[in-house]
Amino acid sequence: MSIIINENTRLIVQGITGREGIFHTEQMLKYGTNVVAGVTPGKGGQTVLGVPVFDTVKQAKEETNANATILFVPARFTQTGVFEAIDADVPVIITIAEHVPVHDMMLCYHLAKMKGIRLFGPNSFGIISPGKSKAGFMAHKIFKKGNVGLLSRSATNCYETVFMMSNEGIGQSTCIGVGGDMMPGSTFADLLGDFENDSQTQAIVIIGEIGGSEEELAAEYIEKHITKPVIALIAGKNAPKGKSMGHAGAIVSADGTGSAENKEKALKQAGCHIAESTVQIVEILKDIIR
Amino acid sequence: MKLLEYKAQELFEKYGVPVMKGVVIDSIDDVALKISDAALEYPVVIKAQVQVGGRGKAGGIQFANDGQQAQAITEKLLFSDLKGFKVNKLLIVEKAAPDKEWYLSIMLDRLTKCPLIIFSALGGVDIEETAKTDPDKILKIPINPLLGIQDYIIRYMLTKTGIDKNLFKDMKIILKQLYSLFMEYGCMLAEINPLALDKNGKIIALDGKVDIDESAMHRLPDIMEFAKTLPASPLVKEASEFNFLYITIEEEGDVAVMSNGSGMLMSCIDLISKKGMQVGAALDLGGGATAERIKEAVRIVLSNKKIDKLFISIFGGITRCDEVAKGIKLAMEEQKENKTVIVRLEGTNKQEGVEVINSIKGSVITVDNIPQGVKELSSGRCV
Repeated sequence: MSIIINENTRLIVQGITGREGIFHTEQMLKYGTNVVAGVTPGKGGQTVLGVPVFDTVKQAKEETNANATILFVPARFTQTGVFEAIDADVPVIITIAEHVPVHDMMLCYHLAKMKGIRLFGPNSFGIISPGKSKAGFMAHKIFKKGNVGLLSRSATNCYETVFMMSNEGIGQSTCIGVGGDMMPGSTFADLLGDFENDSQTQAIVIIGEIGGSEEELAAEYIEKHITKPVIALIAGKNAPKGKSMGHAGAIVSADGTGSAENKEKALKQAGCHIAESTVQIVEILKDIIR
Repeated sequence: MKLLEYKAQELFEKYGVPVMKGVVIDSIDDVALKISDAALEYPVVIKAQVQVGGRGKAGGIQFANDGQQAQAITEKLLFSDLKGFKVNKLLIVEKAAPDKEWYLSIMLDRLTKCPLIIFSALGGVDIEETAKTDPDKILKIPINPLLGIQDYIIRYMLTKTGIDKNLFKDMKIILKQLYSLFMEYGCMLAEINPLALDKNGKIIALDGKVDIDESAMHRLPDIMEFAKTLPASPLVKEASEFNFLYITIEEEGDVAVMSNGSGMLMSCIDLISKKGMQVGAALDLGGGATAERIKEAVRIVLSNKKIDKLFISIFGGITRCDEVAKGIKLAMEEQKENKTVIVRLEGTNKQEGVEVINSIKGSVITVDNIPQGVKELSSGRCV
C-alpha cells in the first residue's frame, strides 16, 4: 500500500521546461516515477527527456490519463496553475513553490475542497512513497521502503529524520511535505486517517512547528481516530515571538497562540510520543518498531 | 507588512470607506498653514505614525485647538522617539465627535482558512482586551471566499449585535469596500477601530490598521513604494535584496545559523540554545540557492560584528551541496576577520560539496550531522 502516490501514479509536471522542472523531472524519472506528461504553455508538441509536453493540463490529462500533477512553477504562477489542474479534475495536485501569496492559496484550497481534490503545499518538498514513486524535489537516495508514515511542515527536518531512520534500517511507507505556509492544501489532520487505513504503515511521525493550530487539530483527530503509535516533534521552541521564522506559517502570536508548549501539551494528551529532536524521533521509533 | 495609519487611511479613502479629513506632515515648518491648506477645522488630532500599539498612552496622540498649539505639539512629537520607534511622520485630522464607536476588522483566519469578519459594538478599545472582558460581545463570521460578502451576512451581523437596521445600507457599503480592499491588497488584516457613527448619522473610520502579505507585495506597486520609506535593519535589508530572510534572534548572541530551510534553522536554534549558547542571527537561504548567492549570504552574516561563529547546515534537495560549498569558498577567500565556520552538508551532490569545503584554507570545519556541529560550536577549539 502506501498513501496518495504509488506505482500506479501517472504524473504530470507543470513547468517541465524550466530549469528546476527539467532537473527534477530527470531525478523523478531516475527514481522510477511514471512521469507521463509535461505542461508548459506555448511549448506543446516538444518532448523533455522523452516526456511529451502539452500546452494545457486538460490536454495532458486527456492524452495520457494522468492522475496526479506537480507544479514546478514560480510562486506568482502557482494559483493559475492550480486552478488549471482543478478545472481539469486532476485528483492529486502538489505545489512546491515558496512565497505563494496566502490569498492565492486560500482560493485554491476552497476550490479543491469543493471538488474533493487533494491539494498539497505550497512550500513543500512533495510526496514520496519509497521504492514506488516520488513527486517532488527530495533527495530520494536517503529514503527507504518501510513501515513508517511521515508528515512534515519542514523539508529539511524531514530529510534529517529520514536520513537517520534509513541508516538505522527503519523505512518509510509514504513521506508527505504538508508545507510551511499559513494555509496548506492538506494538513496533518487531513492525512492521519489515510495512514491509519494503510496496511503498510505501522507508525506515524509528525514533524510540526510553531504557528497556527494544525498540531492541536491533529491531536484532536488522533485522540478520536488513530490507533497506531504517533511520534511528534515541534520545531521552533527558541524562536522569538511575533517574528516569522522563514516559513510564513511559523510565527507565534503575541498572545502565545501557536506556541510549541501548547502543541506539545495537546499531542501528549492525545497519547503521542513527544520527541525533543530529530535524533530522538529515531530513538523512539527503534523502541516501537523492534 | 504592517502599514502606517496614514497609508491605511489612504487605502480606505481609495476604496470609498469614509475617513476624517486630514493631512500628513514630515517637517516642522508652517504647521498651521498646512492645516488651513488642507481645510481642516479645529480642534485637530495629531497622531504619531509609528508601527507600534498603545501609542496613545505613550503620548503619541495629542489634541490642538489652534495653529499655535499644533505647531508646538509638532515640534515636540515629530522626529521624537516613541516606544523605541522614531516618529518620521505625523497625521493631523479633524477631531471627531462620535455618537457610537464600534470595532470592525477582516482577518485571514488560519483555522477556517477564510477571511473572518470580527465585529464588536465595543469600539475604540483593543479587541484583545474585549476578548478577555466581554468575549460574548465579539461576533466572528467566516466568509466563504468563493461567495464573498452577501447581504445575509450583514443582516446577521446587525441583528446579532442589536444595531439599528436602518444602518444596513451604509454598513453594507463599508463592509463590501473593506472586503474588496482586503482581497485586492492580499491583506492579513484590515481593521477599523473605532468605526464611528457621528452625530449626523454618518459612519466614519477613525483609525485603521492594514497588514499585507509580503508574498503578494510584488503586485502592489504603491505598497512597494511605501515599504521603501520604512526604516529597516541594514542586514535585513541587504539580505532581502538577495531574497534571503535574515532574522535577529538575540541581540547579544555570538552564534549565527544558516540553513536552506526554515525547519532545520529552527531545529538548530533549539539545539544550540539547549546547550546554553546564544544565537544572535539566523539566515534562511530558501531553496535552490546558487554559489554566487550563498557567497553573499555568508558575507552578510559575518559582517555582523557580534557574530564570531557560523554554523551552516544544508540538507540538499532542491539546493545542491556543491553550489553551497562553492559559495562558502568564494566568501571565505574574501573574509578578512578570523571567524569560524562549521559546515554540515547532506543530500544532493554531497560528496562534490565536501571536496570543495576541504579545499578551503582557513578556519572552516566540516561535520557529519547537526549534533556534531553543535558540539563543535560549544567546544573551545572554535574560538
